[in-house]
Amino acid sequence: MDDRAPPGNLTGCLFCFVEENPRSECKCWSSGQKNPLDVDEKLGTPQGHCTGGEMANPVPSACCVVLAVVVVVYAQRHSQQDSHIQYERVGADVTMKCGSMDWDAAVTWTANGTDIDASHLNGSYLILKKVDLTQSGQYSCYEGSSWHLKYQTYLRVGTPPKEPLLMCRSNNYPKGFYCSWHLPTPTYIPNSFNISVIHGTREMVCEKDVFPKNRCHIRYLQLFSTVKYKVTLTVTNALGKNSTTATFDEFAIVKPDPPESVVAKPVPNNPRRLEVSWQNPSSWPDPESFPLKFFLRYRPLILDQWQHVELSDGTSHTITDAYAGKEYIIQVAAKDNDIGTWSDWSVAVHATPWTEEPKHLTTEAQVTETTSASTSSFMPPPTTKICDKGAVVGSGAVAVCWTAGLVLAAYGVLFI
Amino acid sequence: MAAADNTSAALRRRDLCSRGIRLAGKMRSDVVDLLDTYVERQGLDASASVAAVEGVPVAAVERWDEQTGTQRLLENLAAYRTFRALLAQMLEEQQEQLGEADTTLGQALAAVLLQVSAFTYHLEELLRLESRGPPSEEGAEPPPAPHLSLFERKLRGLGVLRELAQWAVRSTRDLRQLAKPSPGSSSPASLAESP
Repeated sequence: MDDRAPPGNLTGCLFCFVEENPRSECKCWSSGQKNPLDVDEKLGTPQGHCTGGEMANPVPSACCVVLAVVVVVYAQRHSQQDSHIQYERVGADVTMKCGSMDWDAAVTWTANGTDIDASHLNGSYLILKKVDLTQSGQYSCYEGSSWHLKYQTYLRVGTPPKEPLLMCRSNNYPKGFYCSWHLPTPTYIPNSFNISVIHGTREMVCEKDVFPKNRCHIRYLQLFSTVKYKVTLTVTNALGKNSTTATFDEFAIVKPDPPESVVAKPVPNNPRRLEVSWQNPSSWPDPESFPLKFFLRYRPLILDQWQHVELSDGTSHTITDAYAGKEYIIQVAAKDNDIGTWSDWSVAVHATPWTEEPKHLTTEAQVTETTSASTSSFMPPPTTKICDKGAVVGSGAVAVCWTAGLVLAAYGVLFI
Repeated sequence: MAAADNTSAALRRRDLCSRGIRLAGKMRSDVVDLLDTYVERQGLDASASVAAVEGVPVAAVERWDEQTGTQRLLENLAAYRTFRALLAQMLEEQQEQLGEADTTLGQALAAVLLQVSAFTYHLEELLRLESRGPPSEEGAEPPPAPHLSLFERKLRGLGVLRELAQWAVRSTRDLRQLAKPSPGSSSPASLAESP
């Protein structure tokens, strides 16, 4: 039986078999007992070894041995669970020692369970030259003959952080503002961020958002202050740190969210009008006391140039110069009436002004037109295409339009 | 009769608030332009940080949303009376310093001084409507300008104009609060109760 004593820190015994046969006994060690024999510092001595006494029945003793082996293996594996993590820069040369093994000890290194070629070894040391990201993983060192795990580490290859990008904005003035940040390039290893906000001599609390994690918000304690805010963000990882500072006025960062629920509708019996309405962004807390003004832009899909209208109040507008029959794209932006900058553009909406239903035609020319319209796919609608941009609304021009439409219809018939 | 008087007073108040808002907006725009001119003419750096200047009303306020209407009016009135005197001092110093050499800055200062005076009167009207009447101006004069070097006076002037620009925004917000109808009524709330 193995008489090895447990390490001194054990306070009890995990396994203690009391056999039915009175001639067998099993003792447990308690803390404080010393062991004259060597104890492996890394692994410790398995707990609960049975010792002493005769065993009349060989089955329990075999059981004991099996259990002891199981415990040893378990302890070996799980003693490395609270893993050692090693961070190294991309391009660095890395040397790993096999725990307390001598340089000339025979060892085997594995990376993620795969044996590492001996050419990477210098004695029992593992040498990795100019490491790259693909070399991140679990590295283990086993004693040559016994295959005892002697050392294990998780290598994380990464980079120190570059200067982070920091942005602060108030989309809910006058309640407060938020700051968000990100790194321009990934580091591939965990980073922690620390942010400080100072207003004059006062340090303010930036409460971190649960989501997204790279954002925090500050409540305004004062309004209308000329004193600037100074926000410093520091990012730290195992390979280094970096920071950036933003300084700004209370007014300068005010930027509402875009207007919501933008709707554009044709106006019945008005071929050149579109009625547009929208709502204040829901994040803007008090539009009555802090009213927004709006900027509306619109263009027909077929053109690149936008028309713009600035509106100092109200959340609706009627476009009166739309091209008849043309589909329009419309967007709206918002800004506090007095301070700050314009929001981003709202989601775009599409609308086409009202057009008159084609009338039932009874003359020969009109029958021809109807026939051609049903068979030709490339004929333009007689009421719109001809009367294109810049067309003047008036009875004379309308007559010209109809005539031109009929001529085109006739051509269409000829070509079919 | 009393109800009609109340309605008339409420309408008058709303009218004064609306005009005051427009006046404050125009004043702010002109002060911002004046700041650019002042910085350029005085050879200053626009981003120069100016410590709190003694005797200049500070626009910064905590718990702004909790103030009553009367508090808002009284604080505004005290501030603009002080700015009126400060701008007059600046105009005098500028004329002594530059004489007639720089009329652009002088004219811009004078124009803003006029608007500040007009706005002060507007605030006094609002307070009269409240039947409070504006407080007297005795003792409201700012302390005499401390003996400062030319550069220090220029920085002080920068501080005055910056605070005035902030006040113009604050006044706009204050008047909007005053013009808001109280809950359950279509007329603006009485100044004593409205935040």
